[in-house]
Amino acid sequence: MRFALFPGCTISDRLPFIEKSIRMIAPHFNIELIDLPFTCCPEPNSVRSFSDKTWLTMGARNLALAEEAGVNIMTACAGCFESLSMSKHVLDSKPSEKEEVNKVLKKIGKEYKGQVEVRHIQQVLYEDIGIEEIQRNVQYPINYRAVIHPGCHTLRPQKILNLDDAEAPMKLDELVRAIGMESLDYMDKVMCCGAGVRGINREIAFGVLREKMDSMMMVDPEVAVVFCPTCFISFEAGQKVVNRMFDKKYNLPVYYYTEILAAAMGLEGVESILSEHRVKFSALGMLVAKNEPEIENATPH
Amino acid sequence: MERTTDADRINEIQHSAQPCFQCGICAASCPIFRVAPDFNPRMAVDEVLRTGTVAMTGREWFCAYCLMCEERCPMEVALSEILIDIKNLSANDGKVPPSIIEMMDVIRFTGKVSHASKRTEKKRRELGLPELPKPDVDEVQTIFEMTGALDRLMRFREAEVEPE
Ligand code: SF4
Ligand code: SF4
Repeated sequence: MRFALFPGCTISDRLPFIEKSIRMIAPHFNIELIDLPFTCCPEPNSVRSFSDKTWLTMGARNLALAEEAGVNIMTACAGCFESLSMSKHVLDSKPSEKEEVNKVLKKIGKEYKGQVEVRHIQQVLYEDIGIEEIQRNVQYPINYRAVIHPGCHTLRPQKILNLDDAEAPMKLDELVRAIGMESLDYMDKVMCCGAGVRGINREIAFGVLREKMDSMMMVDPEVAVVFCPTCFISFEAGQKVVNRMFDKKYNLPVYYYTEILAAAMGLEGVESILSEHRVKFSALGMLVAKNEPEIENATPH
Repeated sequence: MERTTDADRINEIQHSAQPCFQCGICAASCPIFRVAPDFNPRMAVDEVLRTGTVAMTGREWFCAYCLMCEERCPMEVALSEILIDIKNLSANDGKVPPSIIEMMDVIRFTGKVSHASKRTEKKRRELGLPELPKPDVDEVQTIFEMTGALDRLMRFREAEVEPE
């Protein structure tokens, strides 16, 4: 399997250890990754709200790059996945929009034809590789009680993204079970983490995060597992803000799925990718609680 | 690229919100409404439907674009898309939260939304990550020019100088 990796700005520039975990596991599942000069996807809420034509054309440019290289795109961020999938949907279903966009792309020597597919790494792992193959690669099962957060932009709109059931998602649960974890159901599993309005109103954004985490904490989890860097920052660093703002005492370790997958596979170098976390795994899958270093790269903006 | 006129866009919004029978499921599903009841996604479009203009409150920017309303609407009204349309109308008038302007400026000059700090660059090297190919910023400039983003940035700055 060959993909253009679309790490997205948040992973490549703020959470490179997540990118590392993806590149570490990839060869073990015969995933070959190439890098292309992508821009921001662009960010699915603010950029599209500011100028939907700019959003669509930049998305089309990214899609065209992968087309030119003859590969499909594998996204690692839910936001990039939604943004590129929605761009593709608009371009493929509205020929007049596609024509307009291609007029602009022509100026920069590109064309969107409509041949490229956009996948999220969760789909590649779940659909192309499969739970059994993942289980076969697990050396050190990590036996913790986990809450998963699928993320708005992997789930909705379901009829376009088609990654999992938008109301009762199960696939990330199955993936964490494959590495030995117990996946706990909780009330607000499909709720937003609040990231989308962090730049607009912090009280509201962290109020949403508080609601979400209250719901998570009700089932007494040991870790949270996400498949999106923006959600990762919301939970990992945002919980401290919620603690200050609303007098809470959350202390929940948060992992991007491929990080704990790499740990469960016992891959060499896994210590270095987890060293940015507030609560760490050893390569043997043992949680070692550490003091809390400030995470400069991961403060929620 | 030709811009849809405001009237066209408002007609489109009115048309796509037509099936709404005000059941309130969208509001009940909205995470923002849950913590800030001033923002009711249905009410945010109500004014456009009734008066054909965008309200001056700027509340549309509180939408987190989580798409819960759209997913759950029994009439398949895509409220989150409608809110994107409304935000575009506001942006066209220069009414945009400053954080979004900052983001657009960073994209305009780098193609990305976050600067790779010195610390991240160092971290990438330590982790043995490849240097990612950089996008050609001139291409981004051309897209900004031809798709109206530059105009909107300018209009925001004009609006800033002359507040109402
Ligand atoms: S859920 Fe749909 S039909 Fe019900 S009030 Fe909201 S937009 Fe209208
Ligand atoms: S998309 Fe916006 S209006 Fe709809 S539920 Fe989410 S935050 Fe509320």
